[in-house]
Amino acid sequence: MIPSPVGSYLKHMSRPAGHVVRPFAFFRAGARAEARESEKPILVMEGVYKYFRPDVPTLRDVNLTVGRGEFVFVTGPSGAGKSTLLQLVYRAHSVEEGRILFCGRDVARLTEQSIPFLRRNLGIVFQDFKVVPHWTAFENCAVALEILDMPDRLIRARVSEALDRVGLAGRGEERTSNLSGGEQQRVAVARAIVTEPALILGDEPTGNLDPHLAIDILTLFEEINATGTTVLFATHDHSLLSKRSHRIISIDEGRIVESRRGLSGWSGVQSIAS
Amino acid sequence: MTLKTVFRRARRGLREDLRLYLVAVSSLTVAFISLTGALVAVQNLELFAKRWGETGRLSIYLKDDASAQDVSQLRSAISALSEVADLQHLTSEAARQQFFQEAKVGAEFSELPLEVFPSSLEVVLVAGVSTKRVRRIASKVGQFHAVDSVETYLGWFDRIAGLVSAVRVLAAFLIVVVLLCVAAVVGNTIRLAIASRRGEIEVMKLCGATDNFVRGPFLMEGAIQGGLAALFAVLFLFAGYIFLHGEINEALHAFTGIRLVFVSVPTVIGILFAGVLLGGLGSFISLRRYLSC
Repeated sequence: MIPSPVGSYLKHMSRPAGHVVRPFAFFRAGARAEARESEKPILVMEGVYKYFRPDVPTLRDVNLTVGRGEFVFVTGPSGAGKSTLLQLVYRAHSVEEGRILFCGRDVARLTEQSIPFLRRNLGIVFQDFKVVPHWTAFENCAVALEILDMPDRLIRARVSEALDRVGLAGRGEERTSNLSGGEQQRVAVARAIVTEPALILGDEPTGNLDPHLAIDILTLFEEINATGTTVLFATHDHSLLSKRSHRIISIDEGRIVESRRGLSGWSGVQSIAS
Repeated sequence: MTLKTVFRRARRGLREDLRLYLVAVSSLTVAFISLTGALVAVQNLELFAKRWGETGRLSIYLKDDASAQDVSQLRSAISALSEVADLQHLTSEAARQQFFQEAKVGAEFSELPLEVFPSSLEVVLVAGVSTKRVRRIASKVGQFHAVDSVETYLGWFDRIAGLVSAVRVLAAFLIVVVLLCVAAVVGNTIRLAIASRRGEIEVMKLCGATDNFVRGPFLMEGAIQGGLAALFAVLFLFAGYIFLHGEINEALHAFTGIRLVFVSVPTVIGILFAGVLLGGLGSFISLRRYLSC
């Protein structure tokens, strides 16, 4: 079972006095607990197959390794299997064949009861934001910490910090429905980072935004990545890919067809654009 | 997940679906009014039956032409019985005065003729005399020449005892109806709340909420609905009791010998507890059926 941040927190809190630790040290962005641990990849997919129809695999023989602190684009045309790939990581679905190791643990073998504890170590941002419109920005972020049973005082401080990081400082009391699309997505990003997860999954987070806001949100993800958090960013928008030199995993018809850094001279641009 | 967190989230849920919950609570209040009303009726009827059953009284109505010697002979015979605790001769005039004193009726009754109030011997029996023995005494006394009729009040007792049994059955039936009603209303309300908050639930699950974290506030909301409905029902009936208390209590006491009582404090606590429990239970059943976490 993936250890929960709370468990990790309590474990560290029981250390002798004077030993300075930060909460969630194990998964804390940029944590360097052990050199050997930090060298291990955070996410490994080995021979992953996923079928929604018996004869047509949505993902076929996917092999992928994502190192700690990496920023990886997952791209491909609509229906290629980008979202499915991410959904397998947070166990919205389970694999039919192969295994997915997150922090060395096979998420495919987790019991139903363990899935919430896996998700507490992930931050997920969606194309449709998935914020609760009648809640305030603060409440939308705080829910992730309430789940961890954090004290109110700490929740207030952490949410305030997260909203500050996404450029929504002082706007916590505004109802999310009153915010613009870009701001709502920032709230979603704040909710994803407020628990300081080990890995952030972006499932086409810029899909509903205009190009200018899309760049803003991408930059936000990059800032988060700069603190050491691993980011897996699914997009079919090649204009975003062309502006950055991150590693790009291209999926087509459920298969990883290419893995490269940057877009220069990449033949896949045409197929994605089409 | 602390109780404080559950309560805070439940309060937020109640606020968001306020109209839905108001409708639910008012429906449940009607159900609890029926139940509590039946309990009040049972309690008062039981008191009434007990009062009449324990009275151990005989009213021996005398013939108008009964001579003083016959009456004296009758008194001696009755006084000799070991079951008799007290014996008083109530003349027609005394009976008339007593009626106007106790019944506090208006002036329209003041012209009633004296014949309406026959003279009687009022016998008080010692405690614990069986109804069989009372009937036997009445039968023997009735054979005296001066006696017109004997009222044992046991007929009333039998009728009231029958009525109490019927109301008890009604109350038991109402308990079942209320139980089903609360489970159905709370269940449906929670089902609608789950549907309207599907987005919230999805967000919580994606953030790593366990099933218990999602369910907790809904259970609390169900319990609050049930508890509030029970409380409102008790308050409504108590207000009615206070109103009727002043209006009819004296007349009721004059005619039946009892005063109207409300359900006891332990019963009120029981009703409130039942409301909370039934609300929580209805919510729990609904969550099991409709919340596929």
